[in-house]
Amino acid sequence: MSRIGVLLGKELADLRQNRAIFVPALITGGVSVLLPFFVAIIVPALAGERLAESGDLQIAVEMYKAHPALRHLGPEAAIQAWIFQQFLILLVLTPVAGAMSIAAYSVVGEKQARTLEPLLSTPLTTFELLAAKVLGAFLPALALTLGCFVIYVAGVAIVAEPGAFLALLTPASLAVMFLLGPLAALTALQLAVCVSSRVQDARSAQQIGALVVLPIAGLLVLQLTGSFELTARASALLAVGLLAVNAALMRLGVALFDRESILIRWK
Amino acid sequence: MLTASHLTRRFGDRVAVDDLSFEVAPGEIFALLGPNGAGKTTTLRIAAGLIAPSAGSVRIGTEALSPAAGPRLRIRIGLLTETPGLWDRLSVRQNLRIYARLHGLTDPEEAVDRALDLFALADRAADPAGQLSKGLRQRVALARTLLHRPDVVLLDEPTAGLDPESARDVRELILRLKSEQRAIVLSTHNLDEVERVADRVAVLRSRLVAVDTPQALRARLFGARVRIDLAHPAEACVSALGAAGFADVRVAGATLSVGVTDHVAATPAIVRALVGAGADIEAVAAERQPLEDVYLKLLEDDGARHGGHGARPQ
Repeated sequence: MSRIGVLLGKELADLRQNRAIFVPALITGGVSVLLPFFVAIIVPALAGERLAESGDLQIAVEMYKAHPALRHLGPEAAIQAWIFQQFLILLVLTPVAGAMSIAAYSVVGEKQARTLEPLLSTPLTTFELLAAKVLGAFLPALALTLGCFVIYVAGVAIVAEPGAFLALLTPASLAVMFLLGPLAALTALQLAVCVSSRVQDARSAQQIGALVVLPIAGLLVLQLTGSFELTARASALLAVGLLAVNAALMRLGVALFDRESILIRWK
Repeated sequence: MLTASHLTRRFGDRVAVDDLSFEVAPGEIFALLGPNGAGKTTTLRIAAGLIAPSAGSVRIGTEALSPAAGPRLRIRIGLLTETPGLWDRLSVRQNLRIYARLHGLTDPEEAVDRALDLFALADRAADPAGQLSKGLRQRVALARTLLHRPDVVLLDEPTAGLDPESARDVRELILRLKSEQRAIVLSTHNLDEVERVADRVAVLRSRLVAVDTPQALRARLFGARVRIDLAHPAEACVSALGAAGFADVRVAGATLSVGVTDHVAATPAIVRALVGAGADIEAVAAERQPLEDVYLKLLEDDGARHGGHGARPQ
């Protein structure tokens, strides 16, 4: 087993013993899953007004007319589908925010627990250490994303208008969920791990790492206002960009990781 | 096995280690003594390849320790850090298993089982490390340090804060390592421990103040003396010793202290002279100045030479 795998196993075993760390991610995940249902199903039901009766959302009906799998949707189903699809990006953000605390604590936590010096005295290289730390935060985030997505799609299939859930399974939606989302998460977590190896407390790393969430939140706002549509092509371009950013961040992380400063100056 | 040549390490303007050279052979226990901030931990970290020297070099066997060679050479080095540094939420076995795998051992489980048996930890293997006593945590840390059977073992205050029984266990383990022909460097403030286990001692204050066996350092500073307890006042025997060629004689009641160059060679002549003078001898022994006196005197002399302060006992 590679040393990355060994340390990753340790990270996951440690997380299993510290399940409380997932509580914020689970809460935000739950809220992200439920929020669109409030907007698309519960509020209209409470108000006694169907979404299709609102002129503001006709854009959704128009949007799906050109889509082969969705053009048969009725007006209400189309608007619901559009809302659920727009909120998908919020679902992507949630596990990132949850895993941020894991990533932010990764290096500084080892230092504070005085476990870093013995670890660094093994043949482990800086790249192996950082890769294991990033993956240790990323894999639970990915699992949580998948879990939330499955619940989300199942929920839409059960309570929304028939066929609305198909909007979540378009190439664009799947690209957001399984390509852009994970890559954005990886970027945020890498940044947090980088920062974690340069600061002396986890909170600083968490705050700086969380900045990555801002551009993604910006995309959500642009999508909702209709200024930007995250198509499969746009997603692919963004994915390539994020891949490059991730590769650069790993190189930067290795270059910034100063064993000596960490051992000598951090108390 | 371990060779440090002209090691110097600066942190900004401060010189933590200054032109330090020493060698440690297989089967030797080499103790680093010195006040806080004397550079002991820095020296161990350099020797472990964790930090680089500003000047000088470290060799493990014939290979120089460098950033490029570090990951490969660290397999031959075992470092016991000042604090055990265990992952508290993981079990003892998990802690050891991860290190066995990080060191790339071919049969990690066998290595862990062996370490658990050797350090009498088998019955606590499933316990979270955070639940162990301080002594047991230190034992696990030692087991972790030795899992990969390193040629060079670096121990930073291995018995600090342990109860006497745990400290004795650790000392016995250190002696066992010596018998296994490991080269051992021991950083400590515990002079009694050094007296019990160390073959050679280096007294540091950033630079090397002195290095030798405890006996040689003692003889160098205080000379060799033989102590004789008599059954009666000793004053009357001084002339007999003077006639036998022993001029440096101190008397305290019924006890004589005789300065010699070699107590093994001189003791029979002293006994003969005293018996010849009709003395009733109760006990004869080589007089041993406490190592603490040796250590303090070395630092005091060094302070006087370099305008610093004398040592404060730790």
